[in-house]
Amino acid sequence: MTLESLFEALKRSVEEFKLEEAKNITKELLKAKVDPLKVINDVLGPTMEEVGEKFDKMEIFLPELMGAAEVMKETTAILTTHLKESAIEHPKPKGKVILGTVHGDIHEIGKDIVKIMLEVSGFEVFDLGRDVPSIQFIERAEEVGADIIALSALMTTTMGSQKEVIELLEALGKRENFIVIIGGAPTSETWQKEIGADGWTETAGGAGKLATKLIEGKVK
Amino acid sequence: MVTPPWRINEILDRAETGPVCLEKDFDLKILVPELRRVIKDYDIQFDPLTPVPSDNSLADSMWNAAMDLYLEVGTLCTDTHRRIIFTEDEIKEALGNFPGKFTFGYGCDSREITNRQIEDTKRPFCMLSPDITCDEDLFVPMSMAYLQEPLADGVCAPILDEIEGMPIRSGYPTEVKGSVAHAMMFREAARRVGRPGIFLKSVGTAESDAAQIAASNPEWGERLTDGRFVASVTELKINNSLLNKMVHFHTYGCFVGALTGPILGGYTGGAEGTAIVGIAYHIQGLLVNQAHFQNYFPFHLKHTCNTTRELLWVISTTYQALARNSNLISTSNGFTAAGPCTPMVLKEAAAHSLVSVVSGGNLWEIAVAKNKHKNYATPMEARMAVEVGCGAAKEKYSREDVNEIILNLLKMYEDKIPDAPLGKNFRECYDIRKCKPSTEYMNLYKNSKKELIDYGVPFIY
Repeated sequence: MTLESLFEALKRSVEEFKLEEAKNITKELLKAKVDPLKVINDVLGPTMEEVGEKFDKMEIFLPELMGAAEVMKETTAILTTHLKESAIEHPKPKGKVILGTVHGDIHEIGKDIVKIMLEVSGFEVFDLGRDVPSIQFIERAEEVGADIIALSALMTTTMGSQKEVIELLEALGKRENFIVIIGGAPTSETWQKEIGADGWTETAGGAGKLATKLIEGKVK
Repeated sequence: MVTPPWRINEILDRAETGPVCLEKDFDLKILVPELRRVIKDYDIQFDPLTPVPSDNSLADSMWNAAMDLYLEVGTLCTDTHRRIIFTEDEIKEALGNFPGKFTFGYGCDSREITNRQIEDTKRPFCMLSPDITCDEDLFVPMSMAYLQEPLADGVCAPILDEIEGMPIRSGYPTEVKGSVAHAMMFREAARRVGRPGIFLKSVGTAESDAAQIAASNPEWGERLTDGRFVASVTELKINNSLLNKMVHFHTYGCFVGALTGPILGGYTGGAEGTAIVGIAYHIQGLLVNQAHFQNYFPFHLKHTCNTTRELLWVISTTYQALARNSNLISTSNGFTAAGPCTPMVLKEAAAHSLVSVVSGGNLWEIAVAKNKHKNYATPMEARMAVEVGCGAAKEKYSREDVNEIILNLLKMYEDKIPDAPLGKNFRECYDIRKCKPSTEYMNLYKNSKKELIDYGVPFIY
């Protein structure tokens, strides 16, 4: 197979979330001494971007997005392991994100999509799950040296917990240490401004772009 | 003894002893593949040109697909990581013992709620609800405005997110305080409009089990003639907090509703999967949530409304499947993209109720403005929905009639859904002191009604 056809096959295996096929193609590419960074930057990244766009347009749905992201993650892991073994400098994440659904809220779908979009945008994500106590966001963010705290809320009655995290950060004198982004169906740009968050995204699909913009722009 | 409840202890036992399953595996390794299988096995296909199908065999196939799915998948308890699974005989027993009618409320304000048939001429039970948070000072006037709507058989109050100047946070003492105040003020509002016995659904302010339990009090709070919700976790999941509510409500003796909203675009995929899971939710609602009635609001992952073409099909096929194969009682909860005092919201409200009623649903109307803006809801949107829904039953509309009307309505608003107008809030639309709609909104309503009549939309009067 030519390099182009291998790249095309890898792209297809991600889109169709065929994990074993993707792993085999990746190993074949490594055997052919193809630069792992080229595979990540020229194939996996753009493919996931396309998958993300299709999801945003509702041409595909959550299971397909999650399946593709899983294949992308596993394949990238093979490539980065190879980079480490070859002592080649491997790509660093754009930043570290602490993510969770806020205290009192048990909804996770939006948060799960945000996780995928952040990971495929090059962030290392620490998912704390749902119904996360406010202080836990801060403690974990400090533990892992996070750049961003991302807070999801799906209920009008739990949005207040997003505010509480920011208030706690301010009270502890740690507000300047983290970029705080929020999202979830009942949230809005007005709410973001009201509680003093640094960013808001209307759709979960927009989380990657928002985080990239904020971290690159050094808004903080 | 009639169900529900159906063997409460069986549910509690299975939530602790059922097959172990991690949540991620439940979503992606059990639900998603099983759902894909039944869609294929039962040959379920969404037809965008027929948002209201008239094919009875499709309705039956969807019911069979949902039964097959639920027997294989069951319900996951996310706290115990156990699947609550039933046999076909158990489901049939619960369905067979369901009475299919109840009397909600008390005295001269009481109303009978029943299951409905496809193209039923029986008037739907009409629940009116803003489904949104409001400022504390608006709680009583907004509640009164809804309670005095003549077609309201029951009302659900707005949600408080502050109490006496303090923000209400789920799981905090302020939530208990706010929930008790909510129940008290709602009772007061009902009495002030002269309908003290009307069926009240509360307490939306209480997200937690503790706050719900705190509001149960026949003297000043939630009565036995009122209704409460046991929600589900997306998709086909439950947790201990929700089961706590279920046990409490049944031992207290009030009516229980199952609140379920499968998400189109999420784990259920497209319209076919969303409808099948929606039907399965009704089976879960009877057996796990132990509900007397269900409130059903499938919605769009991105647009958080259910007036899109796909979701109208989901609503129609769900109710048709239920009507032909069970006597379950369900209210259809509308979610519009546009906000109050816009021509679009009134068209969406009409579309939602028409589809629901002709397909066999009762009504729960209506969350507006994508259900995300505080104070953005008024009884006028609900009035449009229930006048049309009751009109469709009275005028004996068929599915074919409604399908044709819906195709025309969709032409008028479908492409505006992504950037739907926000409209105006309750303060801007109503005279707060008199609880009366503004002249502007009344005129808009009258003009919209005329326009809709030209398109063949029925009204009860």
